[in-house]
Amino acid sequence: MTDPMPDAEPRPAPVAAAGFRLSSVLPDLCLLAAIPLLVYSVHRVFMSTPIEQSMGTAFKIFFFHVPMGWLCMLMALIAGIAAAVQLRLRSSGAAAVALAAAEIGFVTGLGVLLTGPIWGNATWGRPWTGDARQVSTALLWLVIVAYLLLRHYGPRSSDRLAAALAIFGAVNVPIIYYAVKLWKTLHPSTGVVGSLPPEMWATFWPGLGGLLLVSLGLLGLRIRQLRLADELDAAWVQLEDPR
Amino acid sequence: MNETTPPPSKPGDDYAPVVGISQEDTATLRMLEGKAADKTARDYEHIVWAYGVLWALFAAYGLFLWRRSARLRADMNDLQRALDRTADRR
Repeated sequence: MTDPMPDAEPRPAPVAAAGFRLSSVLPDLCLLAAIPLLVYSVHRVFMSTPIEQSMGTAFKIFFFHVPMGWLCMLMALIAGIAAAVQLRLRSSGAAAVALAAAEIGFVTGLGVLLTGPIWGNATWGRPWTGDARQVSTALLWLVIVAYLLLRHYGPRSSDRLAAALAIFGAVNVPIIYYAVKLWKTLHPSTGVVGSLPPEMWATFWPGLGGLLLVSLGLLGLRIRQLRLADELDAAWVQLEDPR
Repeated sequence: MNETTPPPSKPGDDYAPVVGISQEDTATLRMLEGKAADKTARDYEHIVWAYGVLWALFAAYGLFLWRRSARLRADMNDLQRALDRTADRR
């Protein structure tokens, strides 16, 4: 079988010696820092945030539904940019970043697609209205699923096709963002977060910060795992064929 | 002291009917309060479901990462043993 990445960067040295590096503890620090923020956020959502007049108590879903949507879009952008770097430089590191970001995008995308209909059912009376933002978000999630299926189950030669899919997913992000302006939708306009009253604003940001830190922590852990798996593969190859 | 003082009440005049809250109004108010309480309870049910889904997803992904880590650790141990065997043969 021919090497699908003939110009790829040299294989990493077998299992790098362990030493203290900030980057190695950064994911754990992110996860630790997220704990107080999330506890504070949940406390604020249930105890300190006033009830929104038109949507009632169900509006409280906003405080984690919107951050999940933003995180899904952020992860799709990271995956798309990393996939472009992977295609351009044949970098296995960029391939690891793209895969890890796509996995977190899958989780946050599923989160936004499940919490949205729960909120929609409470306020609109229907879980799914075929709204432009719902459909474009679902499309992005399906692109991420296709990318992950290719990366996990496709042959090694499908990496380039998968990278193209990740770039396609990233292109979908501005479409989701501007969907509320381009088409008639039930979703509020893009400036809704900026127009929140101070007490809701103070609840929104800790939740967003906590979920962002959790996502970045998990992203870092997953990238580390993928890099280690690459190094282990290289080490096994070197052991069995030491030429 | 120019404060006006209420006229002294006559004996037996201490009851004043509440104006504007008839029994019908009270019943309507109670019904609306009940509806509002039901709506709030339903909303909280939705919120708990949404929160549950969210944390279940992150927990599932955390479990996935943990299992991957365990597999990698086992692979590293296998590699270490294989390296030791190779060193012994030399």
